[in-house]
Amino acid sequence: MAIRIRLDELLMARRMSLAELADRTGVSAANLTVLKTGEARAIRFTTLEALCRELGCGPGELLTYETEPEA
Amino acid sequence: MRALGPGSVSSFLKMVLDIVHFALIAGVIGVALLAFADLLFTVNPALLDSVEIADRGQLIERGPVMLMGLLAAGFYMAGVLAIIGALRRIFATLIVGDPFRPDNVGRLRMIALMLGILELGRYALWSISVWLPDVHHVRPTFGLTAWFSVLVVLVLAEVFREGARLRREAELTI
Repeated sequence: MAIRIRLDELLMARRMSLAELADRTGVSAANLTVLKTGEARAIRFTTLEALCRELGCGPGELLTYETEPEA
Repeated sequence: MRALGPGSVSSFLKMVLDIVHFALIAGVIGVALLAFADLLFTVNPALLDSVEIADRGQLIERGPVMLMGLLAAGFYMAGVLAIIGALRRIFATLIVGDPFRPDNVGRLRMIALMLGILELGRYALWSISVWLPDVHHVRPTFGLTAWFSVLVVLVLAEVFREGARLRREAELTI
């Protein structure tokens, strides 16, 4: 997928576990894993807002756009 | 009154469909047994000698026509049974409150297909019966209702396909 979520990097930088983030945001750990692995099809503004609030970052830091190599 | 879930209208309709389903199974078995007996008597009329029947001559003479009628009735009932079976499975998903399952799309398409086949079968039966002697019971009725029903069910199948797609999307929306 061209849009990638940098959850691992941000969690590592803040020394925070996925379970702790799940606890703070109210988003289940299973759903955060779906986000992390790039399986998610869409993200709600409320989820994005909670993640940005708890990770102390902007949406631009959380989401990156990567160009896919042409076949 | 609720439309979906346990104790709802769907639940009541599922119960009715269950009763019709088992009645149809009994009907198909009954017709198959009658057809088998008729086939035996047609192939070997001597078997009728051991049976007390009032109009034996006519029974032997009309045996093949009766067999065809019984087979047609059997196939028609089996077709309706397939439709009822698919409807039962669809209604089971309505009772658990989850109608937009991908399986239901296939079930609805199968119902549309069976409705079309049954209608074509009715035309075929009428065409054949025209050539048979002493058969005046089958009357041709070319109505648009059956074909309209086929189209409606096909459209409903597409609606369910879209519903299943939206459900998948919603499941992956975090």
